[in-house]
Amino acid sequence: MMDFVNQILFAAGLLFLVSILATVITPRLGVPLLFVFIIIGMIAGEDGPGNIHFADFRLTNLAGTAALAVILFDGGMRTSFKTFRVGLGPALSLATVGVLITMLVVGWLSSVVLDLPLAQGMLLGAIVSSTDAAAVFSLLSNRTVSLNSRVTSVLEIESGTNDPMAVFLTLGVIAYLQSPDTFTAQQFLFLLVEHMGIGGVLGLAGGWLLARALNRLQLNESLYPVFALFSCFLLFGLTALLGGSGFLAVYLAGLLVGNRKVRALASIRRFHDGIAWMAQIGMFLILGLLVSPHKLLTIALPALLIGLVLILAARPLAVVISLLPFRFPWREQAFISWVGLRGSVPIVLATFPWIAGIENAGLIFNIAFFIVLVSLLLQGWSVPLAAQMLKLYIPRTGARVKRLEVDLPGQSGYEIVSYKLPVDSSHIGRRPKELPIRDHSRIIAVTRSGHLLSYREWGVLQAGDFVSLLVAETDLERLDTVFKAKRQRADAAASRQFFGEFEISLEAAAKDLAESYGVKLPESTAEFNVGQLVLKFLPRPVVGDRLRLGHIELVVRRMEGGELREIGVRLPRE
Amino acid sequence: MKLNEILGADRVVSGGTYTSKKKVLEDLARLLNKGASGVDANDILTSLSSREKLGSTGLGHGVAIPHGRMGGVEGSVGAFMRLKHPLDYEAHDGLGVDLVFGLLVPQNATEAHLKHLAAIAEMFSDEVFCKKLREAGDDASLFALLNSFKPGN
Repeated sequence: MMDFVNQILFAAGLLFLVSILATVITPRLGVPLLFVFIIIGMIAGEDGPGNIHFADFRLTNLAGTAALAVILFDGGMRTSFKTFRVGLGPALSLATVGVLITMLVVGWLSSVVLDLPLAQGMLLGAIVSSTDAAAVFSLLSNRTVSLNSRVTSVLEIESGTNDPMAVFLTLGVIAYLQSPDTFTAQQFLFLLVEHMGIGGVLGLAGGWLLARALNRLQLNESLYPVFALFSCFLLFGLTALLGGSGFLAVYLAGLLVGNRKVRALASIRRFHDGIAWMAQIGMFLILGLLVSPHKLLTIALPALLIGLVLILAARPLAVVISLLPFRFPWREQAFISWVGLRGSVPIVLATFPWIAGIENAGLIFNIAFFIVLVSLLLQGWSVPLAAQMLKLYIPRTGARVKRLEVDLPGQSGYEIVSYKLPVDSSHIGRRPKELPIRDHSRIIAVTRSGHLLSYREWGVLQAGDFVSLLVAETDLERLDTVFKAKRQRADAAASRQFFGEFEISLEAAAKDLAESYGVKLPESTAEFNVGQLVLKFLPRPVVGDRLRLGHIELVVRRMEGGELREIGVRLPRE
Repeated sequence: MKLNEILGADRVVSGGTYTSKKKVLEDLARLLNKGASGVDANDILTSLSSREKLGSTGLGHGVAIPHGRMGGVEGSVGAFMRLKHPLDYEAHDGLGVDLVFGLLVPQNATEAHLKHLAAIAEMFSDEVFCKKLREAGDDASLFALLNSFKPGN
């Protein structure tokens, strides 16, 4: 007996350590991490050298569900309400209509290709219908360029909100398959309302309660994150027991907690980041262990076909239709289509039919698994390339090197941030206290060539200095612009090329702009100022958006809390 | 674009001392007038000033490129002034301006001429080049330096 325990601990330790070490190497190779975790699981499994025989679908389902709950809670906490301004509508449309379209297309095709009854095909369609953007963001984060905030907001919110829909559809189709004669469309609709309604209400109530409890309770400092974790499980379980969507509930609860002033939020976030990583790794390892790779080979061809149709037809169709009312630029639509990565959710959902005892459950599991592999590999690998080819990168603005949230007793909403002064920063030669910093924020340290300087040694700022500040979260964006003043030459050139040569005042009359650059404006805008002109054609602008006027372009340079702040004019070039 | 088609040696001056942006633009208009004799210096000033009302033409790091579009001008006309002391020009980086390149473009054929403006902005974004301009001895060597500019030097 002890031997068994020791073996489990040994195997778990080894597998997690290898996976964690893989996070160091793989970003350089551009391979999606999730793919690596799953491969490590497969190598350790029955067909690999590890030779671990694991076929417990129930345990996998439990572990997968728990892991997803934690990941969604964490995802909710990290989603800022600010992103809702441009992202909420399109993301919700993708998460509902988009998921449904994906299911219908893939479901129909699967039933044809695999010669299954239509309902079983739809089950497969439902299982693979939701996306996982976590992988995408890890691929995009460590670059000197970034995507515009409309694209990132939509992807972020979509990936958090489409899982409940996929879970619901899967459960709905399973319910139908279990009693096809008595299951009616009304029941299906009722199930939808019950699922989302209970999930939504309990999620919001639970989040509100959790935030209050965290602020009221006097606990040992280390217990706050644990309290939040088990509240998340409690909420999930309770909601699901009452017939609601636990996934939706924990996501909403996370969203509420993450966007309110909550005590110990910083340590809760940090703890949950770690837990979410562990959940992510653990889930993929188990999923890799669970699959029997030799069985994948037999279904490789049809699964590849279905996977490619999902990527090349179903997802783009779903995106185009879902985003129709929002009129996204085609490049952004193409990118969002390509970033329809399938992650852990489909594989976890694929264990549901097993547990429910549905016919062909094994086949459906293997196909879903294969599709996830294809998607992770094909799309995960090429996401940065796709962004580049679609010209969606915008130069990163800001010199911030490190960000660390801290809890001040009785306060929240403060962070400690550090900036590194580049060689050509315009602050070099100034005294630190001459930096334009608002009252609530203050400089707490200056580090020069590896040494923390005492206050008296600060002198004037030099290139390469790290300036650490305690700042109010609301002041962060402004400080970023203060510190970005004059970046390195190559960056500055790229930035100028992108954001335009000159700044144009938002209050200037549009007709003066037209006069200066020989542009014809539509009659209706004759009395507009430049800001109104931009908003007329770009009603929900994000940084990097352009408005072409004759030979020139107006570019959105800076936004602050949803408000237009700075516009540049971009001249034509040779 | 060749700069010598736009800029004449008589339109490069240095050493002036100014206390206001308005005065700089007045002198710049007069200077540009030498290369665009068909128009009135006051009209040039009006054109430059109305462009400045849209937002400062300061590029940052001490450079400004006032420009305007005018009827009666044949091709792009440039003029360059180096001020003795940096002057507040409401540039976005808050630094005073001491290198001022003025450009007039004709009313028609705008794209080609806007490209000239872009090329000049590009040229003055090169900080090494700007440093040389600040160190140049007299008007003649300033003119030579401007004409010899090649991107990436």
